[in-house]
Amino acid sequence: MSTLLEVSGVSVSFDGFRAINNLSIQIGEPELRAIIGPNGAGKTTFMDIITGKTRPDTGRIIWGDQNISLLGMSESQIAMAGIGRKFQKPTVFEDQTVRANLAMALRNPRGPFSVLFDQQTRAGADRIAEIAAEIGLTDSLARTSGALSHGQKQWLEIGMLLAQDPRLLLVDEPAAGMTSQERAHTTDLLKRAAKTRAVVVVEHDMEFVRRLDCKVTVLHEGSVLAEGSLDHVTANQTVIDVYLGR
Amino acid sequence: MNSFFLRNPSTLWFLMGLGLFTIGVTILSEAGIGFLSTSFIKILGKTLCLCLIAVAMDVVWGYCGILSLGHFAFFGIGGYAVGMWLMYARTEGIVLDSLAAQTIPPTPQEISDAIGNQIFGVVGSSEFPLVWAFADSLFLQLLMVVLVPGLLALVFGWLAFRSRVTGVYLSILTQAMTLALSLYLFQNDSGLRGNNGLSGLQNIPGFETTPQATISLAFFYASALALALGYVLFAWVVSGKMGSVIKAIRDNESRVRFLGYHVESYKLLVFTLTAIIAGIAGALYYPQAGIINPAEIAPIASIYLAVWVAIGGRGRLYGAVIGAAFVSLLSSWFTGGGAPAINLGFYTVNWTDWWLVLLGLSFVAVTLFFPKGIGGLFDYLVRKP
Repeated sequence: MSTLLEVSGVSVSFDGFRAINNLSIQIGEPELRAIIGPNGAGKTTFMDIITGKTRPDTGRIIWGDQNISLLGMSESQIAMAGIGRKFQKPTVFEDQTVRANLAMALRNPRGPFSVLFDQQTRAGADRIAEIAAEIGLTDSLARTSGALSHGQKQWLEIGMLLAQDPRLLLVDEPAAGMTSQERAHTTDLLKRAAKTRAVVVVEHDMEFVRRLDCKVTVLHEGSVLAEGSLDHVTANQTVIDVYLGR
Repeated sequence: MNSFFLRNPSTLWFLMGLGLFTIGVTILSEAGIGFLSTSFIKILGKTLCLCLIAVAMDVVWGYCGILSLGHFAFFGIGGYAVGMWLMYARTEGIVLDSLAAQTIPPTPQEISDAIGNQIFGVVGSSEFPLVWAFADSLFLQLLMVVLVPGLLALVFGWLAFRSRVTGVYLSILTQAMTLALSLYLFQNDSGLRGNNGLSGLQNIPGFETTPQATISLAFFYASALALALGYVLFAWVVSGKMGSVIKAIRDNESRVRFLGYHVESYKLLVFTLTAIIAGIAGALYYPQAGIINPAEIAPIASIYLAVWVAIGGRGRLYGAVIGAAFVSLLSSWFTGGGAPAINLGFYTVNWTDWWLVLLGLSFVAVTLFFPKGIGGLFDYLVRKP
């Protein structure tokens, strides 16, 4: 397992409030990592910083084998470098079919002219079918994605991430609002994805994290409070005080 | 290409409808049984040009979510560009005719001065401004029809989209752009004859002896052809993956960024392409209108354009065509005295004054109760799987 993403000494404040405070995290490849923490611990801001939505005040973010800095790259450049993100609220394009959603995410040239003259290829169609099977939406490919259930939308979004073929997947609360059956399916999806790439899951639900069975990082007030297996961090007295005890 | 029409049956229906309409108008025109007057043919031809800019507006607003309230500026620029050649070439013809009687042949300078006097006399000048440098060349002026709106849209769009100006702020910026342009053109020293604008555009140089009935029909055909080509072009752009991406930008711009698309380039492409088509539509419109002046590109014109598209139905190209045709024809009927005044006893509803109120109310009603517009009615006819 080699280091894929190295976040070191990153801080960011909003109007004097330190959302992220000297945060350092390393993610390997392949790896499945869960990030937990109380509300306001900076979990979402952490993802915003990595994906280029928020610029940190200080610190370094080093990516990949060539040790490129992600600071100063635009959202679309970071996405093309191989970082995919799934939002807390499922954000699929509800007006369009499941197939169109997946086709947009496929790893193809992203320039406007190559998209304008895009030809649907056999390979692309096969890849879409493959992903649809993986996320259990084979029968829904022609449906408008707005008509999907909440859980199906979450899977579609994970499918769009897979179609991007990123090296790092950032997944924000994938199990929110899912039935226990849907959760089991989601866990399988993430675990399978983490076999070949890095997957970082932000989650509140401890049961879900337990099922992921991976290394856990606890965030608190913008920095790392504890790191290790779930049993290890839940035994930590500080973690119990700030997070679990409440 | 076959599969494109198979996947977009509405485009085929539209082209068939437009073709039938063109044949029908030809039969009813003075070339046929003479039921339709030449001036009405011109109204129909102009309406087709308005339909074309409405289709462009639908792509930029209905599909890509950019509520541009400045696209009529591009329309007007197209009109000015072609109008400059029309006016120059016609005045040149008249001047040469009148100077031919002289015993000493006129020098090129004398000819140029005489043309300048004719064109710019109304604004107290006779010098040719720099913008008229290519006015003697039809080819170059036609190039301007495409280049000037395209470049203006490219620069404006690049500045606006790069700064991530979106939503109502962008709309205000586009309004400011068209207002600034119109105010500039209102000035006498703008080089485009101030508020007089360019006139006599219905007289096509080289066709002085051709009756207006024939010319109007020719422009009607040209407008129909331009609408057909523009419609097919935009139908192709919004189908397939490009359409997918620009609709996605409309619905959730930042999500598209995280998919790795450079949203600004897409907006710029759509904004510029639609501006160019708007310029072409304007270049066909004003020779039929006969006159263009800065009032044509006042901000209100671009707002009407948005109203047409909203009433016709955003996000479907035929909706924009229906909206533009329906509202603009109705508008000329109401304001042209076609609608009878209603006498309420204590007050007479005079439609030339009250039409705008009616239009405003129907805009509000459509927005509130029929967000899909008139075009949405087709959904009841065609059942979707």
